[in-house]
Amino acid sequence: MIMLNMWRISWLNITQNKKRFFISLLGIILGIAFVTSMLIADKTTNDVFEYYEQMYVANADYWVLSDEHTYSEDVVTSVLTSSAVTETLLALDKQAFFELEGDQSLNQRSVRITGVNDQNSSLLKLPVIEGSLDNEGLVIPDVVANLLNKEVGDTIRFADLGEAKVSAIVEYTQLLASPSDWEGAEQKSFRIMAPLDLLRDWTGMDNELSYVRFQTNNEGEKLFQSLQEEFRNSNVYVQPVVADDRQSNDIGGLYTFFYLIAGLSMFISGFIVFNMIYTSVMERKKEFAIMKSFGYLQRSVSRLILIEVILLALIGAAIGVPIGVWLGDMFMQTLLSVFEFDMVYTLNWQIPILTAVVIGVLFPVVFSLFPIYNAGKTSVLLTLKMADQTHSSKSRYIFRAVLGAGLLIFAFIDHPVSYLAILASIILLFPFLLLGVNRIFKPILKLFFGYSGSLAAKNLTQQLNRNANTSAILAVGIAVILLLSAVIESAPEGYENEIRNTYGGDLRVTSEAAWSNQDKAKLLAYDSIANVEPLTEATPITWETIDGEKRQFSIFAVDKEGPILFDRSEKEKSYNELTKEPSILLGERAFDEWGGNVGEYIYINTPSGKQQFEVLDVVKTSNYSGYVAFMDEHHLNNEFGWANSFDMLLTLNDGYTGEQLRDQLWLDYSNHLSKVETVEDEIKSTTSALTGMNELILIMLVLIIGLASIGTANTLLMNTLERTSEIGTIRALGLTKQQVKKMIIGEGLLIGLSGVIGGIISGMVLLYVTSQSKLLAGFISFQIPLGNIILALIAGVSLSLFASWISSATASKISIISSLKEG
Amino acid sequence: MIKVKNLKKAFIQGQARTQVLKGVDLQVEEGEFVAIMGPSGSGKSTLLQLLGGLDIPTEGDILINQNNLSEMTEKERTIFRRKYIGFIFQNYQLLPTLNVEENIAFPLHADGSLTMEKHRFILELLDSVGLKELGRKRANLLSGGQQQRVAIARALVNTPSVLLADEPTGNLDRNKAEEILGLISRFNRENNQTIIMVTHDIFAAGFADRIILFKDGVIDQVISRKDDDYAKYVANFMA
Ligand SMILES: Nc1ncnc2c1ncn2[C@@H]1O[C@H](COP(=O)(O)OP(=O)(O)OP(=O)(O)O)[C@@H](O)[C@H]1O
Ligand SMILES: [Mg+2]
Repeated sequence: MIMLNMWRISWLNITQNKKRFFISLLGIILGIAFVTSMLIADKTTNDVFEYYEQMYVANADYWVLSDEHTYSEDVVTSVLTSSAVTETLLALDKQAFFELEGDQSLNQRSVRITGVNDQNSSLLKLPVIEGSLDNEGLVIPDVVANLLNKEVGDTIRFADLGEAKVSAIVEYTQLLASPSDWEGAEQKSFRIMAPLDLLRDWTGMDNELSYVRFQTNNEGEKLFQSLQEEFRNSNVYVQPVVADDRQSNDIGGLYTFFYLIAGLSMFISGFIVFNMIYTSVMERKKEFAIMKSFGYLQRSVSRLILIEVILLALIGAAIGVPIGVWLGDMFMQTLLSVFEFDMVYTLNWQIPILTAVVIGVLFPVVFSLFPIYNAGKTSVLLTLKMADQTHSSKSRYIFRAVLGAGLLIFAFIDHPVSYLAILASIILLFPFLLLGVNRIFKPILKLFFGYSGSLAAKNLTQQLNRNANTSAILAVGIAVILLLSAVIESAPEGYENEIRNTYGGDLRVTSEAAWSNQDKAKLLAYDSIANVEPLTEATPITWETIDGEKRQFSIFAVDKEGPILFDRSEKEKSYNELTKEPSILLGERAFDEWGGNVGEYIYINTPSGKQQFEVLDVVKTSNYSGYVAFMDEHHLNNEFGWANSFDMLLTLNDGYTGEQLRDQLWLDYSNHLSKVETVEDEIKSTTSALTGMNELILIMLVLIIGLASIGTANTLLMNTLERTSEIGTIRALGLTKQQVKKMIIGEGLLIGLSGVIGGIISGMVLLYVTSQSKLLAGFISFQIPLGNIILALIAGVSLSLFASWISSATASKISIISSLKEG
Repeated sequence: MIKVKNLKKAFIQGQARTQVLKGVDLQVEEGEFVAIMGPSGSGKSTLLQLLGGLDIPTEGDILINQNNLSEMTEKERTIFRRKYIGFIFQNYQLLPTLNVEENIAFPLHADGSLTMEKHRFILELLDSVGLKELGRKRANLLSGGQQQRVAIARALVNTPSVLLADEPTGNLDRNKAEEILGLISRFNRENNQTIIMVTHDIFAAGFADRIILFKDGVIDQVISRKDDDYAKYVANFMA
């Protein structure tokens, strides 16, 4: 009964001022909604990648591959007959060409057919949309079906091979990832699946396999070791099947992005709650003092406010979470379309919703602790004296300035913590920035708004801390997003440079058979080709991180005379070191994932069994956006046990492009060519996702500025309500409603403008720090994202204007006589 | 000339309705100095606020120099107020963030009529109210009596034709009060200013030409200073 009463009183208290209640609630709702949507995006993205990974791995534990294109089935009889093996899947890859009516080039028509002995195998999870896996016809992804305009039962013909009916159409899966239009087909082959027997019939590769995947019982590890032993001196080797989404996608950064946005939103709405509770406490100090003089304990005063906060938070969560789920869904749609995969996703919302509710209730409580503490401290005497507490003492400002300036030193320290330090420094220094902006814009404001303008400038200093915090929050939002957008904007260029520098040539051609000397001579005879270099890539090779996690990568053979595959100042020395003992250089991403130090040893499952290699150094490389390592050619051939090379790196003469050459190559080598990739393709596929991300960032920029503007509206409303009596007085003294409105709008404009200016400045500082950091040196250039700055300026100023318009309406409606009563 | 006809004012708060003014008729000539006295809560401040156009009556009319306040728009009333009316509030109502000079200059700023000449006038006023030294001090740091004197200077700064004063000497000692009342009277004489002053103080009321005794929302009695026993009469009334 008493508790019920408390909740009722709290409800009456928080809703006493409708507009304030509404704005604060809106801030909390949006904050919680953003947090919810980011948590959902995080979990769902994770699920999506896990799902596709799982589909790729299916139930397979190991696979037997070869360093040649195919091997004889006889080699793996020991696998097929082992009692430890519970299921096997035999596969053969063959490059072919669609036979089509249209005028598509050979290159565009190229398709890789994978023949499998059982389409229904549990080692191969195919997400069928239409038809069935009958082991008689073709399995094609839906994008291919759409592009070729084929349905289940239709016939597809392959040049020089044969024809077959489509028996099933499947959703996107990594195994059958195909381009969805002819333009995309220029750069990427189609992939489809056929019955193994059929493919063998067509090709005459009767006893051949590309790989065998198998599932084992608990004897698997033993079998793996014995197979490693057995295959030591053959051209086949055994590897565990490894799933790792970061192997080919740099999505780690994506998660950071989610948390950054969620943190930022939480921070802003926390500030809004803080503001509301703080003013409400200040307003009711007298009430609390009276409560205490009647013998109420501090605890009961604190509890009263706490209940108010919780009430507000619960309402906020109840409305914000559903909005967040919807927002998360929209976000996922946009995000996945950015990645250009035709991925399907199911929203993972249960855990995120729970987390969001907990956060949503906790963070308002945390942010209101200070006002609650303050309310508890309410002393009868102080309140009656109405001491002027809003103006912090000079020494506190000096401390603030010194600390803020001191933290700026972090701008010169290359460490992730520097970012936090700089943001803290911005918040600390903001009162001074606000005063500066105030001084600069005062004459302009006076020009446009007359005396209201100068009053606005004067009022701004009245609640300096609060106004500065409001601006600072807008600034932090803008700064962080500007940094993100600058990074994303300049990253493509960084990637492009890196890829061009370490690709090793202009084109990479892959064959299903080893390149003969005639082939090489024929290539060199092309007008366009300046140089041809063989490239040896051992893949897939599994290795272990320091923590014993299994990962998978490619190892490239390098030598002094060969193409440049990585960026390193002392290349000469590195090559020499590599030739001494069998040792390895790790690409940056692999090195980070590995977790060890230079000089330590890395475990690798080589074709000759499990071995350890000394990690000589870390190198920068684009190859090929995943984990990668480099070894000396000689050691790769011998100790490591990888003998063959199916790739060639072509360097073009000036004036020729890879695009032109590509079609010719397909014509001339159609019988064994399996892939032609230009350096431009690689650049495009790496950077296209980033370009799409930029739009997402712009949306985020506007959303965050919007949320921060709710903070501005909140602050201005607080300022207005606190000054009711003053505003009444100036109205009584002859200022018109219009003039009062202008005054409040002027205040909002100054806060917004300071926020935008501060945000741009701090964004630049952050960007400078980033561009100077060793990690990203040369990758992120110090480039000012002008478009986004203009957007921030327009959005920041116009949303602040809107925010101030809300409180200016309130201010102009203040009744003169009742406000005179309060004074 | 101020003409008040059948003025009524009620405040409505939720269900409750407080009838404060119950039909006030009053005429004040140009240049006249009138004091209003009456018990607390009788509606004196309310009447003054209506006269100053700070609020609108529920019924009745107020004409100031033939201008009917009720017929004006909100904006016209505001501009009228800042041009022709000076107001001294019962609780001063200084703007805490402005300094003393800025507070006094405020009504001039409102319509952008602050000139060098006016600025000299502000300094004179400051001197007259005895706050010459305090011009740059922030208003919320002054004592109650000092604040009251700033409020008076502020009300006089635009040499209004009508001065409405709500207890202008309530917080001053006898000497200071006499000085201030002298100042107001001087303005009354020199500028032919009409003054309506609410006060509890018989001594202060003694400066007025006429004393209006107010009670329960209506005018109870009007006495002229020329009446011989006015002081005694008033004392009885107030008791
Ligand atoms: N805005 C308002 N809302 C409701 N009632 C009001 C309002 N303003 C005044 N009153 C009521 O009107 C009555 C007259 O108030 P007013 O301030 O005019 O009295 P007063 O004669 O000036 O008293 P005092 O001598 O104490 O200053 C009082 O009963 C008061 O409670
Ligand atoms: Mg009064």
